[in-house]
Amino acid sequence: MYLPDFDYYAPESLEEACNLLNALGPRAKVLAGGTDVLVKMKHGLLAPTALVSLKALHELKGITYQPGRGVVIGALATHNDLVNSPILHERFLSVSEAAHQMANNQVRNRGTVGGNLVNAIPSADLPPILIALDASITLVGSTGSRSVPLDSFFTGPSCCVIDPEGEILTEVVLPEQDTTGSTYIKFGLRRSGALSVAGVAVAVTMEGDVIRAARICLGAVYPVPVRAKDAEEVLVGKRWSDDLLAEAGEAAACCALPISDIRGSAEYRLDLVRALTRRALKRAITEGHV
Amino acid sequence: MSTDTKQDYAVIGHSVPKIDAREKVTGTAKYTADLKFPNMLYGKILTSPHAHARILSIDTSEAEKIPGVKAVVTHKDAPTLKYGISPARWDENIFCIDKVRFVGDKVAAVACVDEETCYKALAAIKVEYEVLPAVLDPLHATDEDQPQIHDEFPRNINAEIHQNFGDVDEAFRRAHYVRTDTFVGNRTYQTPLEPHTATSMWEGDKLTVYSSTQSPHYFQYYIAREFGLPMGNVRVLKTYVGGGFGGKLEPTGLEFAGAVLARITGRPVKMFYDRAEMFAHNRGRHRQYMTLTTGVDENGKILGVHADFIMDGGAYTSLGIATAYYAGAMLTLTYEFDNFRFDMLRVYTNLPACGAQRGHGAPQPRYAFEAHLDNIAKDLGIDPIEIRIRNARRPNTVTPNEFKVNSCELRACLEKAREISGWREKKGKLPKGRGIGVATGSFVSGAGYPIYRTDLPHAAAMIKVGEDGTSATLYTGAVDIGQGSDTVLCQMAAEAMGYTYEQMKIVAADTETTPHDFGAYASRQTLMSGAAVRQAGEEVKRQLLETAAEMLDFPPEQLDVRAGRVFAKDNPETTLTFGEVARRHFVTKGPLVGKGSYTPPKLGGTFKGAPVGTSPAYSFAAQVSEVEIDEETGEIKVLDVWDVHDCGTVINPSLLHAQVHGALFMGMGEAIWEEVKFDGNGRILNANLSEYRLPTALDMPRVHSELVESYDPAGPWGVKEVGEGATLPTMGCFRNAIFDAMGVSVDSLPLSYEKVWRALKEKREREAAG
Repeated sequence: MYLPDFDYYAPESLEEACNLLNALGPRAKVLAGGTDVLVKMKHGLLAPTALVSLKALHELKGITYQPGRGVVIGALATHNDLVNSPILHERFLSVSEAAHQMANNQVRNRGTVGGNLVNAIPSADLPPILIALDASITLVGSTGSRSVPLDSFFTGPSCCVIDPEGEILTEVVLPEQDTTGSTYIKFGLRRSGALSVAGVAVAVTMEGDVIRAARICLGAVYPVPVRAKDAEEVLVGKRWSDDLLAEAGEAAACCALPISDIRGSAEYRLDLVRALTRRALKRAITEGHV
Repeated sequence: MSTDTKQDYAVIGHSVPKIDAREKVTGTAKYTADLKFPNMLYGKILTSPHAHARILSIDTSEAEKIPGVKAVVTHKDAPTLKYGISPARWDENIFCIDKVRFVGDKVAAVACVDEETCYKALAAIKVEYEVLPAVLDPLHATDEDQPQIHDEFPRNINAEIHQNFGDVDEAFRRAHYVRTDTFVGNRTYQTPLEPHTATSMWEGDKLTVYSSTQSPHYFQYYIAREFGLPMGNVRVLKTYVGGGFGGKLEPTGLEFAGAVLARITGRPVKMFYDRAEMFAHNRGRHRQYMTLTTGVDENGKILGVHADFIMDGGAYTSLGIATAYYAGAMLTLTYEFDNFRFDMLRVYTNLPACGAQRGHGAPQPRYAFEAHLDNIAKDLGIDPIEIRIRNARRPNTVTPNEFKVNSCELRACLEKAREISGWREKKGKLPKGRGIGVATGSFVSGAGYPIYRTDLPHAAAMIKVGEDGTSATLYTGAVDIGQGSDTVLCQMAAEAMGYTYEQMKIVAADTETTPHDFGAYASRQTLMSGAAVRQAGEEVKRQLLETAAEMLDFPPEQLDVRAGRVFAKDNPETTLTFGEVARRHFVTKGPLVGKGSYTPPKLGGTFKGAPVGTSPAYSFAAQVSEVEIDEETGEIKVLDVWDVHDCGTVINPSLLHAQVHGALFMGMGEAIWEEVKFDGNGRILNANLSEYRLPTALDMPRVHSELVESYDPAGPWGVKEVGEGATLPTMGCFRNAIFDAMGVSVDSLPLSYEKVWRALKEKREREAAG
């Protein structure tokens, strides 16, 4: 269990970083927190011969509120930065809570938001809540930058639309919105250090008891984090009731396509989606952003 | 009750700080892997990628060419004597010769200038295999068409046990009610924090091995045997050990391979397993398939029990023959019945070998029996605690398999657990989704017979008082693997000598400098090593009082010593310090030294397997747990656990309760989360701490650890064990709490969330179908 030899670069500007990635080509990988790349390299699952560390790019580290744009989370923000951010506590506590349910404290201190997204693991805990909150991400390459809705960022397990030979994910933007509540419920097999068996995030816009808008995103039950649009349609424009939420849970299960693996059977996961969707909706409707 | 009651003790019975607490907390404690020696090489073992294959050829030439590779060895370079726990089942070689029998079996080893080069060398060894069909299902291992794993063991039967006490069939005929249930256990792994390490070095014909071991003596015995050395030319010692739980009781291969490599290179060689290799080496819990039939009278009094078990032993015997006997033998301890039949088949499979894990063979059958008993109680409408009290063993009784039980306060444990858990207020009255369960357990305080055939005493100790009397050193072969035996034995030494704990030093677990002791297993050290230590301390005390008598011109029998102060019994004004008397003793008579040894009395019956389970004394415990079940997801939240123990006199209350917490942690892991899983080719799917889920601090319930008064005449000051016994009730206790909460029984371990979910779903479907 040894890291193989590799060249190490720590560029001091984003431009330099993009140019390096471009020049190095497929033999390079970006290194942020290293909680995934280094582990995979030790296990021989990845064998880049060059690592481009982003650690000197201090501009990617902050979490800010920019009026008109929304909450901007730098790609190098760690999970514990999310957990402890006063800006998120004030506006989207649900994101802090979701981050707090990830992995364990050591990993939360090292792992970054950008790394979590680019890894594109179907069971990742951040994408569902960020998608439910309509997040977009910014990708910067040597030829310029582009904004991509997070909802269309993931293309399969460990696959996303980023160009690995030149693009760097720099930020996540949670736009200004009138959502009134959001939450993420993770179901793991113990209280710390467990990957999700299923996860459900929801965001709702309530007008009294009427659901004006709803976004539901499921984790760990589809090749990518997936919107449960059929379930959203069940809800929109209706006065909420326990029966309605149960109906949405049924519809959400129909949007899932889980696999059976070491953590749970497909049948179990479908049932979890049913229950978790109902519970998450009720929580977001009645408790706000939690 | 004895006359030496608690208030008489100056040192024992107090929660003194652990003797090694400072070193461990500040990180200065050196574990085996931290040791470095001049010229030391690093060694690794090449293991089999196949569950079952014939070795056609091994080509090490490419590996040998790599710069920094100092030796590459195979079976051709190593002794080929087979080893294992008992001569009838010596079935394992240092390196495989003709076949590999599980994924992880030892094929070759390398010694290199650094760790990194080891991995390059391992990758360069070319082994040609002929892959054979593998036996992966223990329930079919004995079928006629299955491949043969060991030529010497037809139909893959490693051991077959048939024991019969009383007349079970007649008991069933007489019974008011007879019930049969089947339960399945899980393969779990000890998962000690510290990975196994061994550093071996030769000086001429003498071999020294630093090892993370539970028993330097047992390692010394097997290493000497393998290499044809007198035991005096093999020194095995340990520094600090980060947990063993049974997995460090037998040589792992690291010691043998390291000794071969060190001899060839003439340099010290450090061998070690990483986490995945630890799982592959295994020697953890056997998966048992357990069918129990019990007959009771109309009051729920047990008349007879038939235990019919199969256990998956994996590829080798390891310590498993003892495990197989323990599985049945320990069932007779907690409840009184006269008729007992035990049938066991331990089968070979092409999976990692299983061995001794905390509770050795007993925890899964205990889970099964406690679940089975709750089923019977429910069928008869008897409260679960009540049926246990009606059957609870009483002191000074003998089990049907001839274990003599002296002290036994199981009934008091049950009554106290009922009291402090609020059982009467809760049972049947808890809100939906909540349940309360009970289970009991009992364990040996040391095995009545040695781990291998020998007439050596089980424990020995020596105390040397410092020349100026300001310190005393205890020399013991007992092995502190984290449980705190160094602390407890120093307390016992100080108590027996009339000295203070703070002035005690200890040299332990070194076959060259300390007297023989079998080591840390079968929960034996407090009683057995403690008995030797007490004897040594009393010998020091006698000599000290003789010298004091000369100094004071008093008859020695009128003097006593306590906590470092010598005084006249009837004239407490007449005093000397322990130190000044000890110094005078040295000046006038030479070293002040005491020695002691312990051999248990002859125990048990004469039938085949009779020694397994014998012990001078048995601990007893009752546990009650309260759980909350999420009806939709099956998630189990354990709210509270109440553990009430009868473990004799307590030497160090803090360490005792820590043992209960630790045992509960392990029991809980095995009950709900832990399971080593394999793919269809016998490869482990979760040989890591991410997917082999131990509980975390966040998963732990509130733990209430309590005691009942108890004193066992077989132990020094009345002590008994606690370390393993506390693991026993937990699995059954949780199963019974889930049963109480939801009315569903999960009949296999672990009691995972998904299994609970499935059981609830099936129950709903049954109800819907009417």
